[in-house]
Amino acid sequence: MTDERSSKLLHDLRSKCSSLKSAAELYKDCSPAEKKEMLALMKQAAFEISAALEKLGSGA
Amino acid sequence: MEKLNILVLEDDKLAQKIMAAQLTGHKLDMAGDLKSALGYLSRERYDIGFFDLMLGPDDDYSGLKAIKAAAEKGLYCVVVSSSDSEDVIDRAYELGARDFYAKGNEESNVADIIRKFVQNRRLDAGTDVFESAFVTEDEETRAAVTEALRYAPTDLPVMILGPSGTGKTSLARIIHDRSGRPGSFVAINCSAYTEDLLEAELFGHKKGAFTGAGEARKGRLLEAHKGTLFLDEIGTMSPNMQMKMLKAIEEKTFHPLGSERAETSDFRIISATLEDPKELIARGRMRFDLFQRVQGYTLKLKPLAERPADLFPLIRHFTKGGRRLSFTAEARAMMQEYKWPGNAREVKKFVDLVCCGPEGRIDGVIAGRHLKPRGFAPAVIEAAPASPAAAAPRPACGDGDELYALAMKDGLQAALDKVAEEIILRNLAGNGGKRTKTMADLKISTRMLYSVLKKNDDGGADD
Repeated sequence: MTDERSSKLLHDLRSKCSSLKSAAELYKDCSPAEKKEMLALMKQAAFEISAALEKLGSGA
Repeated sequence: MEKLNILVLEDDKLAQKIMAAQLTGHKLDMAGDLKSALGYLSRERYDIGFFDLMLGPDDDYSGLKAIKAAAEKGLYCVVVSSSDSEDVIDRAYELGARDFYAKGNEESNVADIIRKFVQNRRLDAGTDVFESAFVTEDEETRAAVTEALRYAPTDLPVMILGPSGTGKTSLARIIHDRSGRPGSFVAINCSAYTEDLLEAELFGHKKGAFTGAGEARKGRLLEAHKGTLFLDEIGTMSPNMQMKMLKAIEEKTFHPLGSERAETSDFRIISATLEDPKELIARGRMRFDLFQRVQGYTLKLKPLAERPADLFPLIRHFTKGGRRLSFTAEARAMMQEYKWPGNAREVKKFVDLVCCGPEGRIDGVIAGRHLKPRGFAPAVIEAAPASPAAAAPRPACGDGDELYALAMKDGLQAALDKVAEEIILRNLAGNGGKRTKTMADLKISTRMLYSVLKKNDDGGADD
């Protein structure tokens, strides 16, 4: 994996992790409907984080 | 809250959701890619835009192109990104970004950005602050105040320097009003209290903490929670009190007198002093660490004598909604010549006095009558001066603040000598320079009179 590719992947990881952290902080103040939507988006983000980690691992 | 038109460029769905939650109450358009953002920008008008830079893992910072387009349309562009490369940050600013925040703390960052944007836009929109809240036409003063107000919506401490009556408290209140802080503006003049009383006033006390403390009392620090604590004449605090205050400022916690339980207060500090803080530090009267803590942004207000263009705007301001006054050329000349040592506060007193008089048209006699007790002597100006010291319009006796500052600087005797000198010269000016009359009026010795005259370079003239 090139340095540039690795750098972009790490940027994406940082970004998704930050969003997940912010979402966790917001979660308790959401309405039940919003919680459901938020949870789905958080799961998706976690899945993407996992996929990015796989890519990072396979490229190392 | 002012409703803003906001554009957000963010490809990540979860990040979109978070931004939307932080921007509730505003009109919001959410673009997920560059094309969509450019489309919104061509169709709508926005106040502020939040831009992510890398739109997807394979994107080449296409958010920068949106910033360029948005900045050209006059948007206030804010980058919210996980990018931390210096190159990317520099490019974003070069293309027109006004602010750059790291992702991950949107709850406080977005609120801060909006608060600062609204306050600064209000400031840029007009000069209303200089027409009502802080009246001045002096360009230098306007620039200094405008710059200070840019720091209003931040937590930065502000230190205001300047002589008594120049508007330090008014400016502190304006800064608080524009800070967006939800708490109160709490002002305290540190010179008005002894050390023990100041501590009780600032920190509060429990019932029975000291003789006379019949009831528990909340201190000013607690009253200023989420608001602003204005410490006027901070240089008069004792070293011991300065140390306690420093601790309270740094830790935002303190113990009320007689209490073992610490109280917490989130206050912003604005301080003022009429003395030079560097001199106070050099003389050991101000702790350097406290100065470092409270100085933040520092500005100095000029005395009215150095901004004469402000005199009549101030008079118009003080008579607004009430009796309108007109001044003859002679009255105007006398007022312009007078030094107004009490600054705007003295102008207000003068206006109150002339407004209560029978005439709305103020001539030299009326103006002189009200300026004379403050040291102006129109009769001496009209007559041939008996001596230079007698002829010169005398400034007022230093007011309480100035005399106090002089006493603290050079000792009590120096302040008392100053008062005596002012009274002698004023009397001399009032009686046309007749020294024997002055000695009789004031019941003073020849030696005392001549020591004052010598000091004022007037030892040679005679009755």
